[in-house]
This record gives sequence, structure tokens and C-alpha cells, in this order.
Amino acid sequence: MNNTIDSISKNQILADGFWHNNTIFAQLLGMCPLLGVTTSAENGFWMGAATILVLIGSNLVVSLVRGGIPAQVRIPAYITIIAAFVTMVDLAMNAWMHEMYLILGLFIPLIVVNCAILGRAEAFASKNSVSDSLVDAIAVGAGFTFALMLLGGVRELLGQGELFGYAVFGADYPDFLLFILPPGAFIALGFILAGVNIINRRMKENADKKAAEALTEVSLNTETTAQPST
Amino acid sequence: MSNFKIDREQIQMVIALVAVAVVAVFFLGLTDIVTREPIATAQKSALHKALVQVLPEHQNDPLADVIHLKPSADESSDNGGLADKTSKTKKPFYPAKDKQGNIIGLAWETIAPDGYKGTIRILMGVLPDGSVHAIRITDHRETPGLGDHIVLNTGWINSFIGKTLKNTRWAVKKDHGDFDQFTGATITPRAVVKAVKKGLELFKANKKELLLTPPSNTSPISVPKAQTDKGEKS
Repeated sequence: MNNTIDSISKNQILADGFWHNNTIFAQLLGMCPLLGVTTSAENGFWMGAATILVLIGSNLVVSLVRGGIPAQVRIPAYITIIAAFVTMVDLAMNAWMHEMYLILGLFIPLIVVNCAILGRAEAFASKNSVSDSLVDAIAVGAGFTFALMLLGGVRELLGQGELFGYAVFGADYPDFLLFILPPGAFIALGFILAGVNIINRRMKENADKKAAEALTEVSLNTETTAQPST
Repeated sequence: MSNFKIDREQIQMVIALVAVAVVAVFFLGLTDIVTREPIATAQKSALHKALVQVLPEHQNDPLADVIHLKPSADESSDNGGLADKTSKTKKPFYPAKDKQGNIIGLAWETIAPDGYKGTIRILMGVLPDGSVHAIRITDHRETPGLGDHIVLNTGWINSFIGKTLKNTRWAVKKDHGDFDQFTGATITPRAVVKAVKKGLELFKANKKELLLTPPSNTSPISVPKAQTDKGEKS
């Protein structure tokens, strides 16, 4: 696995981090902030932004020191690095984004225990170059933010009839409480995951079809056996 | 030899962890130094924003003219939990004054320890005659969509305006009082009503001290008053 990771391109890292290995859609990690703060698209966005900052910081530093930390103590070292970045983001948000800080509250310190971040440090940054780790952090973070905003947007839209605070269905939309409460997060997430699986299947079918067409064309034109690459 | 090798590995581990910790502490300290001032300012401006909303139009800076009420035993036991710390020191009252320096309103924080999900902090502005001018929720953890209707600046929160201890039954309608509850959330408004009532009782009990001490003279008196309070604290 290490060898394949070393050889993959930055585009591949971006696609994997954002979609194919999406923290939420594919790995189902980081459920705590996902279910806790996604009552609106805006909350989801800022939670995602805080997570991206921590992820970039921790991936960069872990990648920088990856040769210097003995394997036995790597987990406490990574956690210390992550906790430091989380505290810095926490203080910065308290100072310069006070209102959003009051809303996100407890969930900012809880980024420390978002296993998605330790997961990237352990699975990617500790084995890859600094630039690859940076790209990975941005891709994974963007994918996480996208998922948070999607779920937050769906819940805000169905629960309160609003999107980013603007009334979509008019002011007299009767609040659909279920979607604002935690069970609504699970239900909405289930439908989103189903949608993601449909999209993935379509993508795979299209790719297969294209590969098959290309294969038949090649074999018709040249009558040489092309290597099927699926 | 084998012993030596193990020792070296262990030392490497210790060095690595200590180095990571030291660097982390260094940057955390740096962040703290950089953000300390902005955080204090942000908290102050958040309080100021809320004060402007609950106090009548005033010509002074309520934050600078703060009056500290001497702690009373009954009050600290009433507020419970978190409030104990603040009320044991000195409870701050923020006065609104007109041009002549007369107090035309007072704002202070009252705490509802029995919200649906913990403490609700309420900033209440009261006129000298003991009627509520406005209240605002400054901090809460109530259920989004149910209990958090209390934060909306329109609607329910305005039903407190003009209410005094005498002219109102301080309970939600379910408990035969004058305040609406929300569908699906009775505990939250019940806690807020109770806390505001408690705040008014506190005001009533200390009315003389709050209204008479500073405003008998014009505004200059409030400045030395604030200074002496600081001196006593330290």
C-alpha cells in the first residue's frame, strides 16, 4: 500500500480525499461533530473550516517530523500536535469570531477526538511528503466540510425552511422539528449516503461502459489484444 | 549490550515526546498572548451589545459605571451551580444614566440553573420603578427548534416588557401564570420566567442600595466607586 501511495498523483490524492475516501460518505468517521453541529449550513461550514485548519496544521507537522518520532510513541505525539492546533483554532475563533464560537462551543475542542484527523496523520502524513500531506489535508478537509454543509443544509431546509438563514419556503413554513433534533441528523444522513451510493454506482457503470467501448474499438481497429484496465 | 540498546530507544522516545510537548507549549503560549486581548474585547463588546438592547437609551458607558452589589447569602444559594462563583465575589449591575447622571435603568445577569439542558444566562434590563424594560438570553444550551425560541428577539422574549412583580403572575400558562410556553418545550420558558422573577426580587431587596448610593450626586461619583471596588477585590 505504501508503494502505491508514493506513486499516486496529487489529482488522485484530491479525488480520494474529497470523494472516494470521503471522511463522512465513505469512512463514516467524525460522526460526533457531524451530528452535533449540523443544524444549519452555516454551522456546518464553520465547523468544517475549523477542522480544515487543524487538519492542515497537523498533517504538515506530522509529515515534517515523520522521521524523528519513534513508532512506539507516535500516537501520543500526534495527539499532542493535534491538540495544540485545536487549542490554537479554539482561541483564535474565540478572539475573532466570537459569535460563531458561542454557537459551535463545545464542538471546537472536540475536534481533538475527531478520529478522522488522527487517521490522516497516521495513515497518510506519517508516510508521505509534506506537499502531498498538504494536498491530502485540503482534500479531506474540503470533503468533510462539504458533507457537513450538505447535511446542515438539508436539515436547515427541511427543519426550518431556511438556507444560510434565508427563508426559502416563505416565512410561515411550519418547522419540521424532527430534522432539527438529533434523530433528523441520522435520517438525513441515511438518505444522503443512499444518494452517494447511487452516484458512485452510476460513475462505476459509466466507467465500465467506456472501458468496454474503448476495448472493443481498439480490438476492432487493430485486432490486437489490449490489456483490460478496470 | 542489549541493555544499552533498549535504553537508547527509551531515551529517544522520551526526547521525542518532550520535544513535541515543548514546541506545542511554546506555540500555545504564543497564541494565548496574541489572542488574550482580542478575546477580552470580544467578550466585552458582546456584553455591551446585549446591554444596549436591554437598557433604555443612555448617555453613559454602563460597563465603566458598573455597580457591584455586596454579596448576600440568600442570593448565592438561589442561583446555584455556576452562579456561585460570580455572586460570591460581587454581582455587577450595569446602570443606564441620563445626561444629569440619574440612573434611568439597570441591567444585570440572572441565571436559570434549571433549563432543559443546563444553565441559561439571561441579561435583564429593569427601570427604576421595578418594571422589566427588556431581557435577552446571553447563553443557553436548549434544544434547537424547541427551547431556543427564547433567543428570538421578536415574540416571546418581549412578553416580559413592562412586567413587574406586582402586575404579573410569574409562571407559564400551564402553571396558571401569565407567560406562554412553547409547544414541546415547557421547561425552558418555565426556567426563564423563574429566573427573571428571581432577578426582580433581588432588585427589590437591594433597591435602596442600587438606586440611592451612586445617583444622589452626578456621574463623577461612579468613577471612584468603581475604583474602590477594584481595590477591594485585589
